[in-house]
Amino acid sequence: MAVNLGMAHVSSDFMIVALLVYSLAVLAFAGDYAFGRPRRATASAAAPEAERSTELAAVGAAVGAAVAAGSASAAEVPAGQAVTGGGSADGAAAGGTAQGVPSPRLGAFRSIWAAGPWVRGAVTLSTVGMLAHLVAVVSRGAAVHRAPWGNMYEFITALTCVAAIFFGYIVVRYRAWALGVFVMGAVVLALGLAETIIYTPAGPLVPALQSYWLSIHVTAMTLATGIFFVAAVLGLLYLVAERYRARIAAGKAQAGNGLLDRIPSAAALDKLTYRTAIFGFPIWTFGVIAGAIWADQAWGRYWGWDPVETWAFITWVIYAAYLHARATAGWRGARAHYIQLLGFASLITNMLVVQVFITGMHSYAGVN
Amino acid sequence: MFRARRRTVITAATVAAVLLAGALAVTLLTQGNGNASDSMIEYPAGHRPLAPDFTATSLTGTPIKFASYRGKTVVLNFWGSWCPPCRDEAPTLEAVAQQYAPKGVAFLGDDVADTPVNALVFDRGASISYPSVNDPGYAIVQDFSQVAPISDTPTTVVIDRTGHVAGMVLGAATYADLTTLLRDAAVTR
Amino acid sequence: MHAPRSTESAEPSDEATGSFGQDDSGEAGSGTGGTSGPPAASAGWLRWGWRQLTSMRTALVLLCLLALGSVPGSVLPQQGSDPAAVQQYYASHHWLAPWLNRIGLFNVFASPWFAAIYLLLFASLVGCVVPRTFRLAGSARTPPPRAPRNLARLPHSASYASELSPEAAVDAAASVLGGQRFRLRRPASGDVGHDAGHWVSAEKGYLREVGNLIFHLSLLGVLIAIAIGGLFGYKADKLLVEGSTFADTTSALDEFHPGRLVAGSDLAPFSLTLDTFTATYLTSGQSAGQPESFSAKVTYAATPGGQQRTDNIEVNHPLSVDSVKVYLIGHGYAPVFRVTNAKGQVSYEQATPFIPANTGTLLSDGVIKAPDASLGFMGVFVPTAVMTNGTLESLFPAADNPAVSLIGYSGDLGMNSGVPQSVYQLDTTGMTKISGSPHLMYQGQTWKLPGSRGSITYVGTKQWVSLAVTYDPGQIPALVCGLLAIAGLLLSFFVRRRRMFVRAVPAASGAGSVVTVGGLTRSDASGGFEDEFASLSAELAGQDRPAPPNNQSETGA
Repeated sequence: MAVNLGMAHVSSDFMIVALLVYSLAVLAFAGDYAFGRPRRATASAAAPEAERSTELAAVGAAVGAAVAAGSASAAEVPAGQAVTGGGSADGAAAGGTAQGVPSPRLGAFRSIWAAGPWVRGAVTLSTVGMLAHLVAVVSRGAAVHRAPWGNMYEFITALTCVAAIFFGYIVVRYRAWALGVFVMGAVVLALGLAETIIYTPAGPLVPALQSYWLSIHVTAMTLATGIFFVAAVLGLLYLVAERYRARIAAGKAQAGNGLLDRIPSAAALDKLTYRTAIFGFPIWTFGVIAGAIWADQAWGRYWGWDPVETWAFITWVIYAAYLHARATAGWRGARAHYIQLLGFASLITNMLVVQVFITGMHSYAGVN
Repeated sequence: MFRARRRTVITAATVAAVLLAGALAVTLLTQGNGNASDSMIEYPAGHRPLAPDFTATSLTGTPIKFASYRGKTVVLNFWGSWCPPCRDEAPTLEAVAQQYAPKGVAFLGDDVADTPVNALVFDRGASISYPSVNDPGYAIVQDFSQVAPISDTPTTVVIDRTGHVAGMVLGAATYADLTTLLRDAAVTR
Repeated sequence: MHAPRSTESAEPSDEATGSFGQDDSGEAGSGTGGTSGPPAASAGWLRWGWRQLTSMRTALVLLCLLALGSVPGSVLPQQGSDPAAVQQYYASHHWLAPWLNRIGLFNVFASPWFAAIYLLLFASLVGCVVPRTFRLAGSARTPPPRAPRNLARLPHSASYASELSPEAAVDAAASVLGGQRFRLRRPASGDVGHDAGHWVSAEKGYLREVGNLIFHLSLLGVLIAIAIGGLFGYKADKLLVEGSTFADTTSALDEFHPGRLVAGSDLAPFSLTLDTFTATYLTSGQSAGQPESFSAKVTYAATPGGQQRTDNIEVNHPLSVDSVKVYLIGHGYAPVFRVTNAKGQVSYEQATPFIPANTGTLLSDGVIKAPDASLGFMGVFVPTAVMTNGTLESLFPAADNPAVSLIGYSGDLGMNSGVPQSVYQLDTTGMTKISGSPHLMYQGQTWKLPGSRGSITYVGTKQWVSLAVTYDPGQIPALVCGLLAIAGLLLSFFVRRRRMFVRAVPAASGAGSVVTVGGLTRSDASGGFEDEFASLSAELAGQDRPAPPNNQSETGA
């Protein structure tokens, strides 16, 4: 079937729109940092509390509760309380789990609304951008009459869409809009890269890719990569937050109201990163297995240590190492995160270097 | 510190031991060698596999039935005009064919992966007197592979008077190989 | 997978949490690995070594080594998949290549050191999984621990007032928890002091460990499946020209890589004929020349003389015969040539496969050997020929305007010496180049060689396909184990091992009771227990229709 050029144009146009709107969203998130409501002013006062809460966080306690116990008005706190307990950010308003029966969480959208105009604007812009992005991806699929992840450009646009949607989920579930600058900023960078250097016009697939396995294997890889993308950004943020926390504890820095005070605590980021990574890991595993099944259909063997296969395996092993590291107390902190970031680096190497520059049977990037 | 060093020594020794085990495992799992080298296989009388029957067309188009050779010892040579060792052994085969013809030995070629034109040109050039069947798809080879380990071209199989495989040469056949096989094939009981 | 650390046991309510931790911890000190230093006796050495091997740190190191060790296997050419590239590497790196070869870097995944890494890893895995399986079986039989004295010190706790008596309140709580499929424990007749009284312990989430064990055992299963395939399976290649047949036997196959325990007679005795091969390409647009579809129409019989069947082999649609699969891997052109000798007699007539040098335009190289005419040719086949500045190029991969350009040689091809030669290479030592070459011919044309040496005619064009024939008995088991691994993974990630405790004491006012609820979960759980705890507590509280929750009374405590 011939390429539907009209749809292809729609796709390109909406992709540009998404890119622009995302950029504005990133600016709005940054604006919240600069001009938005103070947050975590309590963090400085509750510094010793924060230490204990870090320990409790390690055993799954709701840190929000402990901190909130010493906080000011209940009305102010939920609005500004970004993720601190990794999952019970509502704990602040509800009195957490330390006492009494927890009451239902405050509505997610009310929290966002109450967080101030900058956050409202940023989240709205992100949502609009996400919708445009989704339209762009879907229309690309309609243009080429197949799943729109058949080459590097399509793969990147699809995975950034997944990352953006997953980030939206985190914002709603864990009130994590403070991470907006970083996650959406990374999405903007990746999308920009795709649009400029890696752009491939809409076209049909070579026979080797004409299989329903495309929808299964590459979809899984796209999803997993998008999720690992978010985990990597969060991991980087954790390292920053952890270093800041250590410096405060050592007395080398003063907790105030700056950028570093506005991002969630290291403990919360640690938990969130872990949960994101373990969400992506089974999907990556499934993607590798689906790829093996497809390889058997197409090439006659389910595993041949093709460079891309090998690097997918390396990535899997490194994330497995991260999960093992996290189960070992001595490795729980920054060291585990280095491993996780190494895993993502391996993933990126696979995507941008191995697929493009090392010849093998997997060179479908469409990039020369 | 002393503890740490001993710990390292133990770990190193363990790794070395497992490396050995690993090497062993790898050798076991490594794919087998598919190459054939010059070698002879013989089956003693009474333990000879039955040669499969076949009907085929000769290079000149006449039908050849293998069953019609029963009662004679047959030297069946799998060859091709594209195959240098086959071309090399052909004069030897012809000489032995001439020598053993009065003794009731028949020579037959099985020309594989070839065209009749190319094969006939070679036969004419090398003055080969015995016929060959046209077997471009290795069908007859496949049949014989079920009873004897034929792995490459050329291969020469000797079938005794009762129609059983008495022996074979893998690779180019020498005069000594052929005469030994023929002498032993004559013993059918 | 390996144990949690001692920090958890430092929590309040040691019994509740301590046994939680003890369930999963290995032998003492396994996680930190030999804190007591090397022991004296040799049995002690072995035990110490074993603890080292099965420790988490070793697993981490081995995993990182496994990843690191795979890197050269992807960057350097590998003998198993591309021997020609390895040769090329040798040619361009004279000094470095032999050293790399000595440490096995040209065949990484079959090298002993790589095997050592994954064997050690699996030994570590088995050494951990087996004891944990026993411990899981054991913990599945032991009831949950008794409720701790002071539930408020647990990471999750709540309390509410109840109109019911302590015993009734606990009974109600027990029925709620039991309805949620928690395993329960009530005070026994022998319990005294605080262990008596009204409480219920509940535990749930054993599936997590089950999933964990299934995952790790499945990985082992995959390894075993791969080994089975390597021992009993085989891979083979065959190049087949249109109109040709081949029987699945060792001599017929171009390449044959049998597993260790495979004999030639194990090959499935099928035969296959390539009737026609059709390749279509995009003729217009940005991607003109890109392949659109490949289809090989074949007729095959599963046994000699068996019923003939037809099928279309395409990329992504292999043919299945018995349990053997035949795949379409590549394709190319085989121009048909007729060579006559000096006397004018036909000396050679065959479709000659040419190998593509450029996968986009299918410009191909090939060799024609006519030893009985003492002639040899090497040259280039071009499917859609166009001359650009005196150079012959291919415009399009379909055979729209096929042409060959040949260089001729006369003399002894060296084929009678007995030394095997590649059919795609011409040995020109001992041959003289024929003047007037390279000679361009379109389909149907003849080149009369100078000096009355003979002639060569380009008769017609056929296509060839390269097929892969594979048999892998370990394939299905590997798939099953892979899917089991995912199932186990999902279970171990998203099921939490958690405990709930409910204690009721008579209310100070005399009527009703004060009920405290406590919850505990494994520390490295994925979280979300807060929500479950909250909803469970609410449900328990709701059962008794109590006074509104008093979350302010203990604020600041």
